[in-house]
Amino acid sequence: MYLFANATIYVGLALAIYSLLIITLGISTKNQKLINSGKGGVIGIMVCASMAMLSLFYLLATSQFQYEYVTDYTSSELPVIYKLTALWAGNSGSLLLWTFFLVLYTVMIAFSRKMRGNPMVPYISAILLGNIVFFFLILGFVAKPFVLLDQVPIEGHGLNPMLQNPGMIIHPVTLYLGYVGLAIPFAFAMAALLLKNVDDFWIKMTRRWTIIAWLFLSLGNIFGGQWAYVELGWGGYWAWDPVENASFMPWLTATAFLHSVMIQERKNMLKIWNISLIITSYALTLFGTFLVRSGVLTSVHAFANSNLGLYFLIFMGVMVIGALYVLMSRYNLLKRSAGEFNSYISKESSFLINNLLLVGAAFGVFWGTVFPLVSEAVRGTKVTVGMPFFNTVQAPILLSMMFVMAVCPLLAWQRSSLKNLKKNFFIPAILAVAAMALMVVLGIQKAWAVIGFGVIVLLFITHFLEFYRGVKARRKMTNEKVYLSLYRLMTKNRRRYGGYIVHIGIAFIAMGIIGSQNYDVQTMKTVNLGDSIELKDYRINYERLDQKREGINDIVYAEMTVFKNGKRIGTIQPEKVFYGNWDQPSSEVGLITTLKEDLYVVLSDWEDDGKATFIVKINPMITWLWIGSFMIVIGSLFAVWNGKYQNITPRYTGVRKEVS
Amino acid sequence: MKSKIFIGLLLIAFVFQASFFQVQAKEFDYKSKEFEAAASQFMCTCGCGQDHFECDPKTCNLTIGFKEDIVEMMNKGWDKDKIREYYVNIYGEEILTAPEKSGFSLVAWIMPFAALGIAGVAIFFIVRKWVKKKGTDEQTSDNEIDKDEVEEEILSSMIEEERKKYL
Repeated sequence: MYLFANATIYVGLALAIYSLLIITLGISTKNQKLINSGKGGVIGIMVCASMAMLSLFYLLATSQFQYEYVTDYTSSELPVIYKLTALWAGNSGSLLLWTFFLVLYTVMIAFSRKMRGNPMVPYISAILLGNIVFFFLILGFVAKPFVLLDQVPIEGHGLNPMLQNPGMIIHPVTLYLGYVGLAIPFAFAMAALLLKNVDDFWIKMTRRWTIIAWLFLSLGNIFGGQWAYVELGWGGYWAWDPVENASFMPWLTATAFLHSVMIQERKNMLKIWNISLIITSYALTLFGTFLVRSGVLTSVHAFANSNLGLYFLIFMGVMVIGALYVLMSRYNLLKRSAGEFNSYISKESSFLINNLLLVGAAFGVFWGTVFPLVSEAVRGTKVTVGMPFFNTVQAPILLSMMFVMAVCPLLAWQRSSLKNLKKNFFIPAILAVAAMALMVVLGIQKAWAVIGFGVIVLLFITHFLEFYRGVKARRKMTNEKVYLSLYRLMTKNRRRYGGYIVHIGIAFIAMGIIGSQNYDVQTMKTVNLGDSIELKDYRINYERLDQKREGINDIVYAEMTVFKNGKRIGTIQPEKVFYGNWDQPSSEVGLITTLKEDLYVVLSDWEDDGKATFIVKINPMITWLWIGSFMIVIGSLFAVWNGKYQNITPRYTGVRKEVS
Repeated sequence: MKSKIFIGLLLIAFVFQASFFQVQAKEFDYKSKEFEAAASQFMCTCGCGQDHFECDPKTCNLTIGFKEDIVEMMNKGWDKDKIREYYVNIYGEEILTAPEKSGFSLVAWIMPFAALGIAGVAIFFIVRKWVKKKGTDEQTSDNEIDKDEVEEEILSSMIEEERKKYL
């Protein structure tokens, strides 16, 4: 098994190098046979990566403690599902997963039906193979997943209890699919530049792949937030940790690209900017990996300190310099056929402001993340840049972003006249201001909350109007029923209406954030058995404290009955879990969720006589955060889904006589 | 009469003494807004990555003493700024959860907005250049301007209907 498992890595590396060289040679000599051989090599790499994954899964599942990785991240009593998910708990395993996804994407492109006969394929494959070679080199010589120990331990160290949660099964997978996915638009962009063909085909394919990567990145962040909320026991979902920031930055720049590419489609402008955004997004994924695996910054997510980060930094440097060289060498091509703007106020302008704010937000996150290093380099003091900084800096930028999002749908392309503005904005603006006044009357008086909710109301109205006007226009001509008309309107314009669904999802998330950040209340109380804790409308009766054993873990739990306004609404059981093979206990929170708010109870401490200390939190509107997240997924899938109408990929218009 | 006054005084003293002890014994709420304002300024150094307001005393011994010290200072009437000053003097800026808004650390706060401002001005000039370039040579009429996407939608619906009839 040892030989087989290691062979998968080294044969994979050899095949990756072969494929890269042979495809490059095939491109330069325009020899299709060489290209086909390289493509065959890609299949071989896929087999190797799959076998490597299966080998590690097998070793983990069967607790083969002679392997260092298995010993470090599992123990024999661990449930099988967590033995398997330990594959991405450590450095080398997670890099293997990364490599597997990268190879999977490469196969999907190299053998895509849509891409058949397309001369971009060898270029894209070569660029992705360059990445694959790097990852196999890391797996083969730096972070080896199949290392044997000199002495076989009786038991493994076990998996970090924090990672023993359903959220952790899927969070890293989706995040990696997003991270790796951003290499695809990068490869498309580079291939288009090398072929000197930045046409509609490139835009369509790049945009599609960016949406897919963006969707996975969104999912990764959402699952991460959900995991933090239920598992860490602090009642929050986003801590602006360097690793969270590392996944948020490419999300922001990819979002900027998805908007600015529309200007390129419509007006043949911003080509350099768009390619720069693609390069930046890709580079940020590597930068994030550098942060996580170098140990230069303190993070609860970080892998054990290693010199891995340095390799990623070097690789990132090489790829970015290479990409910039290609970009500069095609500068004249990109500069050509640039269009103009008709007016200061137009949809195009709003997209520019959108890009300014999104990239500005990404810069703010980047700056805050690296500032400890800057400070240390300049004056020898490594300051902490935490939540207060990011909340203060990001809140106005992201709120402005929400405003642009609210306004943009009603702005016309080309030029918005004063008449047009009045017609589109008068009623939504009046309603939003009225809603803000109502909020103040109802007791929502914090300035940020009122402004934030006001912008969200404006966004809902403008987006509703978009759907309403579209349906009305269709019905005028077709006499269809409302729902049929809405269905056809949306399926005929998947990207546009998918985008609007995502916007509404973002608005729901913003509602959750504003509500939970501004109006949460909490208390910490020590009570005797039979006593109760009161917070706002809630009364929580503490009825029982007991202990149970699950496997090698001891669990102390409290049973509590919850009343709201005197009416019993359920029971909760907050727990503290003491792991047999881990020093730190973890909290399992007691949670009652409604659309209005979450009741969040943590068992903090207890004494022998049953007296216990609880942290009780009321988090308003958290559910809206998850509903919004769900809508983002629905909207993204709706936008990329291959529909019957208008989703035909434009014909490739570049060189034809090349190899493909 | 004197003994009645004496007993009365004793009773009053007893009542006040009891209430005094009640205040002393009253449990401090480590999740109150006042405590949050003071404690969330300081980073816990146990490696949890949280501030002293969030850090769980059950899993971190370091935060227990820190929390008690903050409560003591609050009982002395110190506000959050004074508490902050006290700790910064002892441990330096490293203990804070966010950089100071003075000295070199001010750069951390200013830079994102400065960059946004500069980029915003640059975008304004670029758009102005593009709009000027367009000039007045395209005399777009008001009707054309007002033709928006909804009208395009009507048109596409019409085309679709026609297509259904004849294809």
